[in-house]
Amino acid sequence: MTKLRQKVLQSQNFSYKSFNKIDGTHPFQEAAPGSYVLYQVRKRHGGRVAFFNFNLAKEMGLIDQNHPEELNDDLEAHIIDTFSIQIVNEYDLINNVIVPKKELKPNLYMATRYLQLQHPNKMGKTSGDGRSVWNGNTRHKGVTWDVSSCGTGATCLSPATHLNKKFYQTGDPKISYGCGFSEIDEGISTLFFSEVFNHNNIGTERVLAIIEYQKGLAINVRAHKNLMRPSHFFAPLKQSDQTKLKQVLDYYIDRQVINGVWPAFNGTSLKDIKKRYNFFLDKMTEVFAGISALFEDEYIFCWLDWDGDNILMDGGIIDYGSVRQFGLFHHEYRYDDVQRFSTNILEQKNKAKYILTAFIQAVDFALTGRKKSLEHFKNHPQLQKFEEHFRLCKDYNLVKKIGFNKTNQDYLVKEKRHLIHQFRQDFVYFERAKSKKGLHNVPDGINWSAIYCMRDILRELPQYLLVGKLELSVDDFIDNIKSSYATKKDLMSSPYRDKKVQSFQKNYWQLVKAVADKTNQPLKKILLEITMRSSVINKYDRVTGNSIIHIAQKVMKAKPKLSPLEVFSLVQSFVDRQNLDPEKKSKNNSRQFVRKFLMGGIFKLVREMREGL
Amino acid sequence: MKLVFYSGGHEIENKNIDRLMLRLPHKSNLRMTYIPASSFDDDDFPNFIEHYQKMGVSDFLYFPVDIPFTKSKLALALKSDIIHLSGGNTFTFLFHLRESGMLEKLKGFVKRGGVLTGLSAGAIIMTESIRTAGYPRFDCDINYDNMRNLKAMKLVDFEIFPHYKNSKRYQKAFELFTKDSSKILYALPDGSGIICEGDKTTFVGKIFCFYRGKRHIIND
Repeated sequence: MTKLRQKVLQSQNFSYKSFNKIDGTHPFQEAAPGSYVLYQVRKRHGGRVAFFNFNLAKEMGLIDQNHPEELNDDLEAHIIDTFSIQIVNEYDLINNVIVPKKELKPNLYMATRYLQLQHPNKMGKTSGDGRSVWNGNTRHKGVTWDVSSCGTGATCLSPATHLNKKFYQTGDPKISYGCGFSEIDEGISTLFFSEVFNHNNIGTERVLAIIEYQKGLAINVRAHKNLMRPSHFFAPLKQSDQTKLKQVLDYYIDRQVINGVWPAFNGTSLKDIKKRYNFFLDKMTEVFAGISALFEDEYIFCWLDWDGDNILMDGGIIDYGSVRQFGLFHHEYRYDDVQRFSTNILEQKNKAKYILTAFIQAVDFALTGRKKSLEHFKNHPQLQKFEEHFRLCKDYNLVKKIGFNKTNQDYLVKEKRHLIHQFRQDFVYFERAKSKKGLHNVPDGINWSAIYCMRDILRELPQYLLVGKLELSVDDFIDNIKSSYATKKDLMSSPYRDKKVQSFQKNYWQLVKAVADKTNQPLKKILLEITMRSSVINKYDRVTGNSIIHIAQKVMKAKPKLSPLEVFSLVQSFVDRQNLDPEKKSKNNSRQFVRKFLMGGIFKLVREMREGL
Repeated sequence: MKLVFYSGGHEIENKNIDRLMLRLPHKSNLRMTYIPASSFDDDDFPNFIEHYQKMGVSDFLYFPVDIPFTKSKLALALKSDIIHLSGGNTFTFLFHLRESGMLEKLKGFVKRGGVLTGLSAGAIIMTESIRTAGYPRFDCDINYDNMRNLKAMKLVDFEIFPHYKNSKRYQKAFELFTKDSSKILYALPDGSGIICEGDKTTFVGKIFCFYRGKRHIIND
């Protein structure tokens, strides 16, 4: 930035007073006392803003809508002043670490308590935010946003504290995760992944800012409309603490209503506790059935488990450490977490159902004061609803993937579901086909490679049909759908597979014809629309977990030379190219240096790893 | 030989060239194949369909050459009535066309009477060389792969510079560029274009012609 430009920016006199509201105070502190640990917080020096999410900041009302995407001195000072903090923890207090008064922030900041299965205490008495605190919240245009920061110091809720029965000094080099710091590459990976997901309508926490310190350390600031996780509810549930559980439940429900997320929840039923909690259960059923279906169909590996730790209450993704998006349906992949292997993508559904069962148990306990076993709820009607909603979402997801527009998706799901089910049988046959190579080790776990790329066939098939090739030969079909994981042996012909090739196309046609009949439009017109939509939905170069890791490394290498604005522009352009929503138009207006960066390597990484983990 | 050179600009600006272009195949029920400069960097196919669908085209094929394609899809593409080379980075586009063996196949397509259209980068690639893509320094594509062989399709014996802006700066740059060259360079402002059908060349819109360091204006 030239000196002249800097002067112009400063003279525009934007107000940053909304940052001042993010001061540690948070309504959860009043609503659920005992569900958090409070810390004094001191200023942390030596940080500089490595990234600031101008778009998100505008959504949150932190900066004006017409604020340029430029980081001026005043804005940077506000970001640093608000988020560059470190807690004064138990170690500091025991060891009489003296912090000058002027260095201390006036309010206390909370580290929330929640259940975590990796803690020795499986009741959630000692677990929660181990290296994060909640900065507070901010309200804009009727929506309240929560803001928390990772890397702000070692809290007493980190696993290390309880495993080793001692409080740790923040930054203690003897431990890694438990030292309370986080690293900048975690922030960069999360940033790229979460912005791509957010752009494509997949719920997620988002990165508001990254503050960088020496030795690759960082504070990663995240924001979401509600940062509560199921594990916040399961801690008091495990501890059979009805009062705390009700506090958390009521706090959460009120926030959803205030934020307009649950508009159907009217004033009358708000007062009726039974209706209120049952409404909450209905919503949890929809959320967890919906995300199970979504994760399966978008090949998102998000390690769900009984503690409800790795997911937000609305199904949004949080903590990207082990999150993946596969290029193919690698449904045998398991992450190796040293002590155990993770669930695989198909087992996520049952874990989500388990989480719902725990919510049923929680609501029953909150209403009756008697905690029954989970077994007691195994035939609960909500679990039946879960299954129904899961199937409904799967059907919608499939016709959406094919490329039908919303009206036609509704028609097919409501009136021609049997056709979707017929097609699904063929679709699943190819999607789940695995290599004869069998189970093998991958850098962070195990996998048994899938061999067909469903995105490719869904993108190509309508084009063939459109230009009058009414049926692809088996060889042509396999040529279009095979991935680089498929060996010669995997692709050898079999009567059953060849029959499936025909059946896939026949049942695809049935869906197209059903829509053409209903809408009274020529088949070509329907196919044309599918072709257009599918070319975006089933893009050849879709990002995968592995490519994100490598992109983050590449950005890190270039990082010393990249300004926060350049990182922001890079993320925006990358996200724009990862748009899978046909309703959104690509902007494609990157600055020259961003194009150079993208073309000079990032897109190659995405392409090389597009079928991977 | 049926060739159409587009500069760029909004759809409405190109409606005259489009109208003339769609007459070139001398038939109805046209099939158009769209070749993007880079599939990673180009989401324009739906817009392309939307645009030409309004003009009566019903069959479209998306045919990126920077990713693997099947023989059957190649055959379908080459059976199209019109093949369109999109805009984008000219160096990258030429690299992929060459790597995939499409340069020769497209020449064959043109020889057989197919209509080849190119917009911006695509138009430059239809000429003998893409050297205008790297000129002038204030308005050029980046040669990411450091390509040295800039030879292109050589379907015509003139050069093209798309998105030309009628200013002193550009005029000086191209007077200098063509001073020692025996080739004609057509600098096309957005909305203008050139149509070649056999021996006949039609200029659509105001075009700036640079030859031996002198500027001439066509359709002034």
